[in-house]
Amino acid sequence: MREQLEQLRNGALQAISKASSVEQLQDIRISLLGRKGELTALMKGLGSLSAEDRPIVGQLVNTVRDEIESALGAAIESAHEKFIAARLQSERIDISLPGRRPLKGTKHPVSLVIEEICSIFAGLGFAVAEGPEIEHDWYNFEALNFPPEHPARDMQDTFFVENNMLLRTHTSPVQIRTMLKQKPPVRIIAPGTVYRCDSDATHSPMFHQIEGLMVDSKVTFGDLKGILTVFTNQLFGQKTGVRLRPSYFPFTEPSAEVDIACVICGGKGCRVCKNSGWLEILGAGMVDPEVYRHVQYDAENISGFAFGMGIERIAMLKYGISDMRLLFENDVRFLRQF
Amino acid sequence: MNVTYNWLKEFVDFDVTSDELASLLTMLGLEVESMVKLGDGLDDVVVALVEEKRQHPNADKLSLCRVNNGKEVLDVVCGAQNFSQGDTVALAQIGAILPGDFKIKRSKIRGEESCGMLCSDKELGLAEESAGIIVLPPGIATLGTPVFTALGLKDTLFEIGLTPNRSDCLSVIGIARDIAAKLGLKMKFPHSTLVECSERTDSVISVTIKNPDLCPRYAARYISGCKVAPSPEWLVKRLNSIGIRSINNVVDVTNLVMMELGQPLHAFDCLRLSGKQIVVRTAEEGEQFTTLDNQLRTLNSTDLVICDAERPVALAGIMGGLNSEIESTTTTILLESAFFKPAAIRKTAKRLGLHTESSHRFERGIDIDSVTRALDRAATLIVELAGGLLSHGCIDAYPGRSDRAAILFRPEKANELIGINLERVAIIDILTRLECQVSQCADGSVSVVPPHYRIDIEREIDLIEEVARLNGYDQIPATMPIARVISDRPTRHQEIEKKVRDLLVNNGMTEIINFSFTAPESVRKLLLSVDDPRHTAIKLANPLIDEQSVMRTTLLPGLLETTARNMNFRSLDLKLFEIRRVYLPGKGEDMPCEPLCIVGAITGTRDGDGWSRPNELVDFFDAKGVVETVLDFLDVGGISWVTENQESYYHPGKSCKIFAGRECVGSVGELHPSVQKNFEIEKPVFCFELDFEKLVKLSRTKKTITAPSRFPDSTRDVAMLIPEELAAAKIIDCIRAEKSNEIEHVQIFDVYRGKGVPDGYKSIAVRIRYRSFERTLAEEEIASLHNKIITNLTNKLKITVR
Repeated sequence: MREQLEQLRNGALQAISKASSVEQLQDIRISLLGRKGELTALMKGLGSLSAEDRPIVGQLVNTVRDEIESALGAAIESAHEKFIAARLQSERIDISLPGRRPLKGTKHPVSLVIEEICSIFAGLGFAVAEGPEIEHDWYNFEALNFPPEHPARDMQDTFFVENNMLLRTHTSPVQIRTMLKQKPPVRIIAPGTVYRCDSDATHSPMFHQIEGLMVDSKVTFGDLKGILTVFTNQLFGQKTGVRLRPSYFPFTEPSAEVDIACVICGGKGCRVCKNSGWLEILGAGMVDPEVYRHVQYDAENISGFAFGMGIERIAMLKYGISDMRLLFENDVRFLRQF
Repeated sequence: MNVTYNWLKEFVDFDVTSDELASLLTMLGLEVESMVKLGDGLDDVVVALVEEKRQHPNADKLSLCRVNNGKEVLDVVCGAQNFSQGDTVALAQIGAILPGDFKIKRSKIRGEESCGMLCSDKELGLAEESAGIIVLPPGIATLGTPVFTALGLKDTLFEIGLTPNRSDCLSVIGIARDIAAKLGLKMKFPHSTLVECSERTDSVISVTIKNPDLCPRYAARYISGCKVAPSPEWLVKRLNSIGIRSINNVVDVTNLVMMELGQPLHAFDCLRLSGKQIVVRTAEEGEQFTTLDNQLRTLNSTDLVICDAERPVALAGIMGGLNSEIESTTTTILLESAFFKPAAIRKTAKRLGLHTESSHRFERGIDIDSVTRALDRAATLIVELAGGLLSHGCIDAYPGRSDRAAILFRPEKANELIGINLERVAIIDILTRLECQVSQCADGSVSVVPPHYRIDIEREIDLIEEVARLNGYDQIPATMPIARVISDRPTRHQEIEKKVRDLLVNNGMTEIINFSFTAPESVRKLLLSVDDPRHTAIKLANPLIDEQSVMRTTLLPGLLETTARNMNFRSLDLKLFEIRRVYLPGKGEDMPCEPLCIVGAITGTRDGDGWSRPNELVDFFDAKGVVETVLDFLDVGGISWVTENQESYYHPGKSCKIFAGRECVGSVGELHPSVQKNFEIEKPVFCFELDFEKLVKLSRTKKTITAPSRFPDSTRDVAMLIPEELAAAKIIDCIRAEKSNEIEHVQIFDVYRGKGVPDGYKSIAVRIRYRSFERTLAEEEIASLHNKIITNLTNKLKITVR
């Protein structure tokens, strides 16, 4: 029996050292230590031994089993390592091939600019307000102090529809609708679609504006300057120069055109700013008392400002687009760049 | 409004450069839109003396000159013949760049050196044609002085973009007044030294105003024995400098004075006026009249006309008549200077589409005070330039005379609103510089009477604006408002709109924006039934083009046109969407409805061309998947996909309507081949439409979250044969109907037709995952539940387990 064990041990250790794969080693384990394995069979034979021999042989069997098991374990681990090393050696991909990704979606630049501007003003406490695009003359013009037959109406070529209504020429009627609904303090921003009968490289018959309105007890023209400075600095970068110069809108007084230092040339003068160094980006002013009269606000005890800007103009400046028509051609080769 | 630096300087003696003046005007609200410097860059063309002139040895027509430019004597070859030794000429020196980018270089002409060029008017851009070189008056300036400076031609043309309120600045005097006020300078006025004869004007002509409400003032003068002739050079040049063409001395004077003082004038040939009388009245309905531009105009009873004893001779404030026009033979002139009501002029000019320098000014309002001043100035100039006798006195019919009302003004209110802190005296000084009459009241307020020419100043706020403007907007400190806190977050509608837009973009879709107006026929391409409400669109009364003449009632045509256009540019893999309003007529007097809609179109390969995957084409389920994502995100419950009453523009076998409970919230499907053809699209397109307004109402904002089970799961697959017409969704519904908490998930993982599946059947494989929240499920429990489900499927839906 002892000899038998010795033979088995030597044979096993030899087979283990010769084995080259994990699978072969597993087979060896089964053939020796499995339920029907050789060593298992020997162990079953222990019962036929005498009481004196049994512990001695039993210990020997255990020693041989431990020896074989540890040799197997070490061999399996080493075979495994070799296997992994060989796998890592052989597996190679071309990582320069493009990655697998879903088709990219994009927002329209007009939506992007509206969202950005609204979020800047949300940070300043302005809520978003909306209004109809098909409007009454009263909201679009009269309440905003454009009397019938007034030359200021020429500034805005109007599309008319049936029932004496029109397509709003600006987002300013939202001011009126808001003030009629709510008492001061008012702080709103109103993005929206507007229409004018005009069409060329810098004019589109449909375009977008954002209107702002703030009315409270002691709002000054200096405050308008402050708010617009903060806004333009956030939109176009800190230290963008801002200039207000006198202008005219029927619904504001004093009125101002607001220029920013040209974002293309930095104020030195270029083709975009017509060598002036300034770019006109919005119109603004203190709300005219006549407007307060139409919405039954007491002009003596409140004051406020309003401003409005063209979204397309800002999008064109931000993204360096020279033809406004590109914005409405909806060519995906253009849109997917945003 | 065009104006030049030199012309302004005649009215106010400022000491600023043209660049400084441009910025000063812009900051006064008179925006300089463009600026042209005349003679700019021509400083190298200088006054020089021809000291010696002799024949060129190698050319008959050329001469050799020795020319003194004050510093040195230069050799110059010249081809002109119209000058001689001792003449003062214009020398373009080496380095000068003449108009047309003509650079003067040292050169050899027929073997003789030439260090410059003697210039003609044409070469300096001063005339269209010239016969020879310029010969300047002797001693005009020191040798070496730039010629443009010597001739007084150095000037700057400003093109000013005026706002409609500043009608006073439609004249040189108006702009000069603002400069004077800003710089604190005195105004100078052009001379009018009237030389009148003894014959009284009112004995020769008469003026009657029938409609004083439309014509509050009409003044006239009479000049006889004058001679119409070309204008002198100074007048031609002056008018040319701001882009007005010279006609003759009389017409030119009326134009000059209009530009100077802002008062439109009209000169009639008095011998062609019947009865030598002027009647101002409204036209008769249908009255016909030929204006100066030889157009026959049909008038109506609101048009104001100037008539003689018999007929209209001018369309008041807009244009004169052909029947009384000044001609070369005219000797007798009736000169008109009047004030017409802006609204009346505007109405007529607009209706007739007749816009003139005169109507432009009357429409905006002129200075009623300057009516006679302008008349006197023009009469003086006409007599000076065309001769003749000016009758004594002017006729001044002025039924509308009125004084301007005083405005109550509080200086502290101005400071408060503007956000500045000016001294009271400084504020009053500003108003005084603007030629307002200011008197102080006992209560500390101020009473202000603005000058007649500032018709835009009527209220206290107008004066406050003037204070801000003259003091300078750049002097106002930028401050942050002291405001009350308001809590305002975006409305539910706004928030959901933004989230849905984000969601679609994150699903690979590109947002488009189409015009709200469209062609009337575009909706017809959808093959809608005749009574479909989408045929009823709001029409524009004045569209620019027919393709933009009705407000859209559906976003689909725009989306499909965009799809077709992109496909033409070989962008074939498209996932497009639009979230915009449609416009539906209101009932009766109601406002139109403008509900927000969502549309999408998907076409081409699923993930674009790639190296690693087969180019699978998108199908119905890609579009449905996007819709499901949106509905799931908004947590809209009770969704069903209904194949009855499908939309006409979809493939009837591959489309459905989407219901949430009983509300139809949209549709999804493959585009009908005929509609596809109507839009000239070559490949299948899968579209969806969602009613955003309904979704906002149905969206559940409150979410209930359950903690996941901690016990192991067990899955069972079952493959079954079902008839083609049985909807797969019924299988899921049937399984779900077994309301067991242990069914965690049910999923169709294969749909198969082909070998082994009889015709008219499809094989559906479903995977059911069982799991309990309370314990590990025993094998027998799962088997019993699963068998029950299969029994249900077999009994209720007649399926055969494969």
